[in-house]
Amino acid sequence: MDRHCQPSSRRQFLKTAAVTCSGLFLPRAVTAFAASETLKIGYLPITDATPLLVAHGLGYFSEEGLIVEKPVMVRSWEILSESFLAGKFNLTHMLFPIPMWMRYKQKIPVKVLAWDHTNGSAITVRGDSNIYSFKDLGGKQIAVPYWYSMHNLLLQMGIRSHGLTPVIQPQSAKLEKNEVNLFILPPPDMPTALLGNKIDGYIVADPFNALAEIKFNARIMRFSGDIWKNHPCCVIVAQEDFINKNKTMVQKAMNALVRAQDWCIRNPGETAHLLSRDGEGYLPFPKEVLARVFENPKPDQVVHPDWNVARIGFQPFPFPSATQFIIDRMKQTLVEGDTLFLKDLDTGKAAADLVDDTYVSKALDEMGGLKRFCNCDITKPYTREETVEIN
Amino acid sequence: MKSINRFIYKDPKQVGLNAIFGNRDLGWKYELIGLAAFALVWMMVAGFFFTRPEFSQFNGFSPGPTFKALMTAAQESRFWISVFASLKRILIGISLAAITGVPIGILVGFYPMFRGLSYSPIQFVRMISPLSWMPIAILLFASFESAIYFLIVMATICPIILNTTIGVLNINPQWIKMALNQGANNFQLIKTIIIPFSLPYMLTSLRLALGVAWIVLVPAEFLGVSSGLGYLINDARDTMEYDKLMAMIIAIGILGFSLDRIIQKLQHTFSWSWNE
Repeated sequence: MDRHCQPSSRRQFLKTAAVTCSGLFLPRAVTAFAASETLKIGYLPITDATPLLVAHGLGYFSEEGLIVEKPVMVRSWEILSESFLAGKFNLTHMLFPIPMWMRYKQKIPVKVLAWDHTNGSAITVRGDSNIYSFKDLGGKQIAVPYWYSMHNLLLQMGIRSHGLTPVIQPQSAKLEKNEVNLFILPPPDMPTALLGNKIDGYIVADPFNALAEIKFNARIMRFSGDIWKNHPCCVIVAQEDFINKNKTMVQKAMNALVRAQDWCIRNPGETAHLLSRDGEGYLPFPKEVLARVFENPKPDQVVHPDWNVARIGFQPFPFPSATQFIIDRMKQTLVEGDTLFLKDLDTGKAAADLVDDTYVSKALDEMGGLKRFCNCDITKPYTREETVEIN
Repeated sequence: MKSINRFIYKDPKQVGLNAIFGNRDLGWKYELIGLAAFALVWMMVAGFFFTRPEFSQFNGFSPGPTFKALMTAAQESRFWISVFASLKRILIGISLAAITGVPIGILVGFYPMFRGLSYSPIQFVRMISPLSWMPIAILLFASFESAIYFLIVMATICPIILNTTIGVLNINPQWIKMALNQGANNFQLIKTIIIPFSLPYMLTSLRLALGVAWIVLVPAEFLGVSSGLGYLINDARDTMEYDKLMAMIIAIGILGFSLDRIIQKLQHTFSWSWNE
């Protein structure tokens, strides 16, 4: 009995040892390390955050095998940026010019991984005002959410194209007829300030335009997508260091985000419900307000009905032509603070260096390419011509 | 002699502070009349401004919609979770500030050298808006929750130190003299005279700290937390629901008032006859 037993148990031991050793030193150790990193998402209470929230809400991140915390809401761009830099968040959405400013002014190595959404903002004025076009903005006070924002950039493009001059000065200072005074206001304060006659209008992300429309019949002067067709607004941002250490994880997160964007296009009503406080409560707004954001603009609200753009659209691929356009335009945009870094910036180089589209391209390939997101030229899907028309 | 002299110190400001935060009780009638007058001013302002057609969106600030919203909120679990979360933050923040601030206050009051050393740093820190610490709080602390505690501590520690110091300095020099004559050492002085005597002042400092802590809480809950009365106020601002906003303000008022009353009762228990 004993003689039979021993060799077998020794063999058993060796086998166990081999399995354990391979488990210790080979792929399992690597997976364990990669999986120990958690996806930490931060966001602001605006519809710009939609794909991140939907990917979490529908469980797309978990389906990719990622460990993900419930996305954390903060209330200002400053807190979002600081928390992102302090490592409290490793994946977040930011207005396109913010990572630009971070990378080239502050020398913080951040990368843009994909577009978070397209369009999604508007210039809102009071319902009883006589501002219908950019040319009516002369001598007016207009609030923007952040100097390094798409909103500031688009607004100033519109203002300048009608021969007006943007200025940054105290509200009490004398304003010429051909000047438009710009200042910063936190988005939640914008509708209140408009209603209280403190400002003549504002440009900001939804739902603060939809909220003003519904609450006190404010009027949309122009949708941002009606100025620049399907422009990027918020982008998905991560730190370079994090991306390099967690390549698989970033790829999986990107797959989930592309899937989420695809879902949002096809289920606008459900998206509004999911995000609202009547659904999963990611955003504090009631469903009624969010539903307005996800439905198409009425024909009399747009000046380019032929563009056929959504109020908020989804398309993840970061077209280099748009990045270059933004960098070029930022160079001409008036902001407060030191802008010397923009002057020396080589547009082409910076556009290639700021954006890393490898992950999103791979995710798109797996879903069958860009055709699910746009009616683009199938022969050259990853290039496009930027359509900008201001009137 | 030198050690006695350091306790002879009178500051006219202390009298003013104690007149408000002392434990004298004028009776509930006056309190009620004061409260009614306050409510009347609110109703008048609301009636005058928010009934205008151009301000109809702000009608939520009036007493009627406010109390209706408060009643609705009181039936929601979300509200009670927030009450609990905010109370927890306030109590933990103030406790941490007291644990560090009271001993510092005693040392600063008792040893002239500490007073000299600490004067400028305390005066310096005291003037800084606690919210300017926000980026530092985000960087230093692992969770948003602990960052909020830090902000509350930064806001409340100075009033606690200063008021404890005033309590120590306000000690009756005769008591010290007597103890020294009988050969008491510093440790015995602190234990048997300084701490019991300045206890009412420490409690006053907690009442001051309480007010400051609530002030900081609303902006501190801008940080990544998902509950709290400040958080609900921010939500109400985001959605322009001013009745809800006012309801949360009233809730904070009630909670603050109750906490203050509890410390006031404690103060009454610990006030020694010579303080009257």
